[in-house]
Amino acid sequence: MAYRLGIDIGGTFTDANLMDEETGEVFTAKVSSTPKDPAAGFSEAAQRILREHGVAPGDVSYVMHATTVATNAIIEGKVARTGFITTDGFRDMLEIARQIRPSLYDLRFEKPRPLVPRHLCFGIPERLGAQGVVLAPLDEDAVRRTGEELRREGVEAVAVCLLHAYANADHERRVGEILRDCDPQAVVSLSSEVAPEFREYARASTTVINACISPVVARYLQRIEDHLRGEGVDAQLLVMQSGGGVFSFAAAREKPVFMVESGPAAGVISATHLGTTLGYDDLISFDMGGTTAKVGLIQDGTPRITKDYEVGATAKSSGGTTRGEGYPIRTPVIDLVEIGAGGGSIAWVDSGGVLRVGPHSAGADPGPVCYGRGGAEPTITDANLVLGRLNPRFFLGGEIGLDEEAARRAIQEHCATPLDLDVTEAAHGIVEIANAAMVNALRLVSIQRGNDPREFVLVAFGGAGPVHACRLAAEMEIPTTVIPTSPGTTSATGLLVTDLKQDYSITRIQRLDQLDHGAVEEAYLKLETQGRETLEQEGMAPAAMTFLRQVDIRYVGQSYELTLSLPDHRLDPEDIAAVLEEFHSEHDRAYGFSAAEEAVEFVAHRLTATGEIGKPSVREWDRGTADPAAAQKESRLVYFAESDGFVHCPIYDRFELGVDCVVRGPAVVEEIDSTTVVHPDFQFEVDRFGNLVVSPVFPK
Amino acid sequence: MPVPDRVDPIALEVIRNALLEATEEMAIALRRSAYSTNIKTRADFSCVLFDRNLQAVAQCFSQPTHLGSLAEMVPRAITSYGADHLGPGDAILSNDAHNGGAHLNDISLISPVYSDDELFGYVANVAHHVDVGGGAPASVGAFQEVFQEGVIIPAVKLVEAGEIVQDVFRLVLAQIRSKHETAGDLRAQIAANNTGIRRVNDLVRRVGSETVSFYSDEFIDYTERRTKAEVAKLPHGEFRAEGCIDNDGFTDIPVPLQARIVIDDDGVFFDLEGATEQRRAPVNSTHSQTFSGCAFVLKCLIDTDIPVNAGFYRQVRMNVPEGTILNANAPAAVVGGWETQTRLIDVMFKALAPAMPELMPAGTKAMQCHAGFGGTDPRTGEYYCYLETQAGGFGGREGKDGPDAVQTHGQNTENAPIEETEMNYPLRILRYELIDDSDGAGRNRGGLGLRRDYQFYDHEVRFTVLADRDRFGPHGLFGGQAGRTASYVLKRNGVETALSSKITLDIGPQDVMSYRTCGGGGYGPAEQRDPQLVLRDVREGKVSVQRAREVYKVAVDTDAWTVDEASTTKLRGGGRGV
Repeated sequence: MAYRLGIDIGGTFTDANLMDEETGEVFTAKVSSTPKDPAAGFSEAAQRILREHGVAPGDVSYVMHATTVATNAIIEGKVARTGFITTDGFRDMLEIARQIRPSLYDLRFEKPRPLVPRHLCFGIPERLGAQGVVLAPLDEDAVRRTGEELRREGVEAVAVCLLHAYANADHERRVGEILRDCDPQAVVSLSSEVAPEFREYARASTTVINACISPVVARYLQRIEDHLRGEGVDAQLLVMQSGGGVFSFAAAREKPVFMVESGPAAGVISATHLGTTLGYDDLISFDMGGTTAKVGLIQDGTPRITKDYEVGATAKSSGGTTRGEGYPIRTPVIDLVEIGAGGGSIAWVDSGGVLRVGPHSAGADPGPVCYGRGGAEPTITDANLVLGRLNPRFFLGGEIGLDEEAARRAIQEHCATPLDLDVTEAAHGIVEIANAAMVNALRLVSIQRGNDPREFVLVAFGGAGPVHACRLAAEMEIPTTVIPTSPGTTSATGLLVTDLKQDYSITRIQRLDQLDHGAVEEAYLKLETQGRETLEQEGMAPAAMTFLRQVDIRYVGQSYELTLSLPDHRLDPEDIAAVLEEFHSEHDRAYGFSAAEEAVEFVAHRLTATGEIGKPSVREWDRGTADPAAAQKESRLVYFAESDGFVHCPIYDRFELGVDCVVRGPAVVEEIDSTTVVHPDFQFEVDRFGNLVVSPVFPK
Repeated sequence: MPVPDRVDPIALEVIRNALLEATEEMAIALRRSAYSTNIKTRADFSCVLFDRNLQAVAQCFSQPTHLGSLAEMVPRAITSYGADHLGPGDAILSNDAHNGGAHLNDISLISPVYSDDELFGYVANVAHHVDVGGGAPASVGAFQEVFQEGVIIPAVKLVEAGEIVQDVFRLVLAQIRSKHETAGDLRAQIAANNTGIRRVNDLVRRVGSETVSFYSDEFIDYTERRTKAEVAKLPHGEFRAEGCIDNDGFTDIPVPLQARIVIDDDGVFFDLEGATEQRRAPVNSTHSQTFSGCAFVLKCLIDTDIPVNAGFYRQVRMNVPEGTILNANAPAAVVGGWETQTRLIDVMFKALAPAMPELMPAGTKAMQCHAGFGGTDPRTGEYYCYLETQAGGFGGREGKDGPDAVQTHGQNTENAPIEETEMNYPLRILRYELIDDSDGAGRNRGGLGLRRDYQFYDHEVRFTVLADRDRFGPHGLFGGQAGRTASYVLKRNGVETALSSKITLDIGPQDVMSYRTCGGGGYGPAEQRDPQLVLRDVREGKVSVQRAREVYKVAVDTDAWTVDEASTTKLRGGGRGV
């Protein structure tokens, strides 16, 4: 008997998932999060789920964890006292940042406060040139004096980022040695190890974040480890990274910046895994919860990754052009477009008489008006309730009774009356406006980046995702939408189906027409050796290891790179020709033009080392029968614009719908943690894993 | 699809978001595929969608300086070229500063949007090009006529039926130093418009051309309604202030600026009647530049959530006489017009401060502060060219200090990473740091200025400083002090010489060119500053112990890092003060 335990700590709830590695069966449990001491919530969730299902702690083989502990520390400013060392003349790198205002017309703007106060920032005499040539030697005495001072100042961590250290790490390494001599206790993060990429501010920021959260994360992980070991769990302990993939607690202590956005990654991983199971490589994941909706793109079975991310910036509806609100990190982060449209997003009428939805949210507390917990402003959930799409007696399986009258009154007062609409029109308007915002987000991740959404499968989950998915698919002309079982826990189960992953990179700018093939191969072999060693330490057998080589590439003179995959051998002229061809066509696809006559250069080499963790086959669905009539629990009036109003709509119990059930819309499918709304011109089918596969019905 | 007979507030919200999204996507396409640092890193560009009546409908910009440029440039360019002469797949290029433009570096590309052979409107983008030829690298310099400032491109077709018109392309590039970058940037501008056309057409295909037009008109009206509603909340009155820029770049005579702003039932009126005569010098602002400045001020007074389109622009009411420094006629040089325009904004904020003390900052950097240079790269033998602008201190505000080292007003361009700059160009940045004690002291102090030192270690370059503020620092407000002035220093043979703020000169391999920008003005009397904040500044080295004592009247114990309460009370004249 072996089990896999996943613990996902969110703002409101801590989700525990337990998977039987043989049968693939997944159990879930939810406890309230304990923000003051997240480790306590972790322990409670773990104990509870093991106890409930009678699983002995010794039978757990892997513990996988997603946590916001790192982000919270940064946002709340509760990071370790940290020092920063750079090249003399540049100690204000963090203060100056990008020299911009995060908002253009706000005369009361603020720049984000540096994570290291200025008196703990030091410049050291030394200098490298752009190719890593030593222009001025390292002043070791100055480093020593600084190290002593930092020790006196009582710093717990030091971040080191010297100019051009991506090209030559010697000075940084020496600084690290001296600092460790001065204070063996202090954590030292070197930019050449954490994020060896050019562009000093982003690299410094990444290194500083790594250093300043390191003590916080290390203490947290230690508490969890102690607890688990105390309970008798001797499983391998793993943490989710921002870019998908897990790494060991030990690796997380070294490079905690890789797990800053640990939480949101799991949903996309889950969608990816679902796609793999069903044979779909190109998917759009749509995760709509209480406060936001998150859209991610999965192409060729791999989630899209961004390396241009700011921690602590508020969610933006698009890839907008204003930056500078948060702290940049250059480690891989799953690329999500996040918009302020969740079930709790508030609808309002602005001073120009337009109905708006979000970005303000009633969140989980007080929550929508219909929760009856003091919320006064109407939300998307209230609108769905008024439209009959949610069941007032079966929300969260009936745990919360919804007050439909209160929702109606709030929509009437705040939206319908000011706009001279009736309450149904207003409720429908709220939902459609939210849908339009989500369609824009879907567009942003697909069309704008050169992909045709009609070639993608939409995977909708989160408590509110399946309520809206059908309309989004209609707008985007997406032919297939998949609603996994228990959509409310889809995100959390992503933890259980991920692999060990380590990302490495090295900046080496070389024109392709002057390429030193040996040097390229050497760079990859070096990264591969690092990756192999780390995976070995984490107990991976060589057969389970794979290494993906990628390269950042651009036209000479550009400053945004595309990332392409490379074959895993020394590049020959044919490979180069193939890379060039792919680059030109990718550039054309992404940006609308290519320039075959222009010189092209490699900028950075990347390697992803993956250690595959076996995945049990997905459990087949054995509930219900193929006769949908048996699963219909009632019918009620549900509003559909396509039908010009409220229509009698059959309501199904998801757990009674068996494999091969086919139902034409309008239909509503209810389960404990979500509701799927199938519009009139759509139908759904239950596949052999119990997923609802929703598709448009074309008129004959 | 039929034309709607009434406004559906839901359709309005849906369509307006789709229109905004289209310009947003244009911006992303432009930035990602551009070549020059100026566009790709510093984001010096804007994108707009116009309807067929040449009204701006939706706009996405990272640089508020472009607020009015396209709104003025596009209608004039289309009108002069003739809308009838533009077909599907065409695009016209223009940078004509005296015909709706700002300065020659800002090149606009305008494309008609046709859906099913019917003209729907136009998409346009403007981007600041690193060089457009003329008398000095990066096309910045203390010029006296626009003809010295680079190639003047009247509205001409750059793209015809989807193909680049090679004759025009080659003719323009022949005038330009950084041909490779400019060619790439122009292609990126074309890609941006193509993206915009695609997106608008998607929308038109989904809901119908008439419906989109109906709601785009409604969107403009909506914007005007909201702008008016916001303006109605402003305090009424007539507000005046004066200021100046330090010199005109040709003579040392300061250029006085005065602003009169009237807020009444009709809205906000910017009266620039007192503008002085235009000069044979680079600091002349065009009508469109000055309009952008007024638009920026108005935008800062209203809810930031209000979009920018013709409905907003209609509320920017301005009187500015022709032939003046704020509305110069040809052939005036205009490359330094931004220095004038951005300072005018500072003067306007000063005028409004007594009426809106909680919103208005003390004096800010309020200059563009260009560093432009070029020479032959010894590594490649190719002529290169580079332009960047430096940040400075922001003014102190009610209850808040002015941020250190930040761009101000219409300008929000990022700094280029030093590593990237040193990799791409044959130069070294020797220092990039805050200037301690440069703050204008105040209850809420001004932000610090910054220093950036350049060295061209193995070759000679032609270098232009086009900046200001070396004589008059940003003003203090309500008893706050002015920020420290800027200086532009050449270090040669160990000797530092302060240069004019507007100068072009040759710099040798051993020389160091040092920019030291101004601090922001202080807000409220310095001796009222919370001693704990003074302590923090001293601890962080931003304010010296001596200055804390002399200016802020706070004694800091630097052993214990505490405020010496007894001495501070004495310095502040007994029990009074905070």
